[in-house]
Amino acid sequence: MSRLCDLQQAFAEAIVEGKHTAVTAAMAADGSALRSMALYRRLIRNNFVQVLRITYPVLHRLVGGGFFSVLAHGYIKHYPSTSGDLFPYGRHLPAWLQHIEAPPLLGELARLEWACHEMYQAADSSPLSHDQLQAMVSADPSLVTIRFHQTARFLSFPVPVHRVWQALQPDASPDEVIDLPLPEEETGIIVTRREGQVRVTPLNWLDYRLLEALSQGATVASIERLAREAESGFDFTRLMTTLLNLQVMAGISMKEGL
Amino acid sequence: MSVQHPAPIPAQAGIGLRAHHFREILDSPPPVAWMETHPENYFGEGGAPLRILERIRTQYPLSFHGVGLSLGSTDPMDRAHLHKLKALFDRFEPAFVSEHLSWSSVGSRFFNDLLPLPYTKESLDHVCARIDEVQTILKRPMLIENITRYLTWQDSPIPESSFMAETVKRTGCGILLDLNNVYVNAVNFGLDPLEFLHALPGQAVQEIHLAGFDRFGRLLIDTHGQPVYPEVWGLYEWAIRHFGPRPTLIEWDTNLPPLSVLVEQAAQADVILGGCHVAAL
Repeated sequence: MSRLCDLQQAFAEAIVEGKHTAVTAAMAADGSALRSMALYRRLIRNNFVQVLRITYPVLHRLVGGGFFSVLAHGYIKHYPSTSGDLFPYGRHLPAWLQHIEAPPLLGELARLEWACHEMYQAADSSPLSHDQLQAMVSADPSLVTIRFHQTARFLSFPVPVHRVWQALQPDASPDEVIDLPLPEEETGIIVTRREGQVRVTPLNWLDYRLLEALSQGATVASIERLAREAESGFDFTRLMTTLLNLQVMAGISMKEGL
Repeated sequence: MSVQHPAPIPAQAGIGLRAHHFREILDSPPPVAWMETHPENYFGEGGAPLRILERIRTQYPLSFHGVGLSLGSTDPMDRAHLHKLKALFDRFEPAFVSEHLSWSSVGSRFFNDLLPLPYTKESLDHVCARIDEVQTILKRPMLIENITRYLTWQDSPIPESSFMAETVKRTGCGILLDLNNVYVNAVNFGLDPLEFLHALPGQAVQEIHLAGFDRFGRLLIDTHGQPVYPEVWGLYEWAIRHFGPRPTLIEWDTNLPPLSVLVEQAAQADVILGGCHVAAL
């Protein structure tokens, strides 16, 4: 092993585990070694906290800077960065919050924010063309499946977490009051991106389940059947209008006929 | 959209492109000669950042300043990262691509900070081999930037300027000279900044960075969160007289001010660029 490699590993050992013997032995003997390493540790940690703060702005606003830093320090200790690209760095935070048994709202909010973070830079998709729409309308619904944009993500929650997310947006009314704890209420949300802006749209629970099934490859006819089984008199045209308004359809496919 | 030809960067001042200023730049393009950005911020497959960068690229020459390659690391080169850089560079054709003379990862763990190398023959051989590898894959020369350091390695016998000069000689790369870093290191370690600058190969200096620092007691920290300090402006005037006019970036990454402040700082650099005569090369 090279001397340079030894030195880099000794530096890492000091930053991560606080074991300074090897790295300080390699530093100038002017009495500043421990102070230097403390500074590097602080700079590195602050940088990661800042990355998490940018990735999870609503969580940061909800818990405040002090508590957010405590959560972030715990995360940083357990989840080292594995890339020179910091975009994916905070992906394990929702699971981490669940693991440390933080209040469940924090983990759910983090899950929603991570989806927003991913959707912000997800691959672009073209809108469904008029011809594709016509083809969908005139095709046998038992054969039609719909492809969704990569900028659409379905998420379900045990509480209406989007209310907290919306109330803590920078442009939200300061008069908006959310009572906590949130009521237990199965909640379906679709996170989308339109014209570069990430949107969080709550759906009623049945619509959510139907559209999610559609996104997973169920045919239009099977969704219609499920809808009517779940709710007699279900307005399927309204559901299709909701889907159109969400602007998440990337294309249609036809299953092979029997 | 793909831009076919790199627009050359003139020996004038540019500013760092940050998402915080996207809207304002699109609505009212500021009077600066060029812009620089971190390529890692555009690694996503789509979305607003890439679209906005495409629009900005039609109006300004671009420079890409990487922060994630960990050039001096003894870990294997992150080829996936390198290929993302290449795809981005091929798409946007920046006039300059640059990275730091530093390391930031070991044992697959990234600290995502610019950590100092010991300036030894081993480090020199290693860094030159890595730069060769990067330039071969990118199919373009790169600039390497001097960093701030907050420690001194005991075994570091080669002066930093000589280390950079030899790196340039062996690899054909250029130098991105960060004068704020030169000043911060000079103050923190009692060095003569002019001695450092004198020892650099002038022809290789292709870009200059100016930025602000913060004071923590007697220590200066390179935060990129303040205006350029008078002492650094003084060093800049000296450098421009010595090296000649060079494309100069106002670098500001934290505590971001209104765009107009960056533009004012760039205008101040332009005055110096326009008023100085080349003393020597």
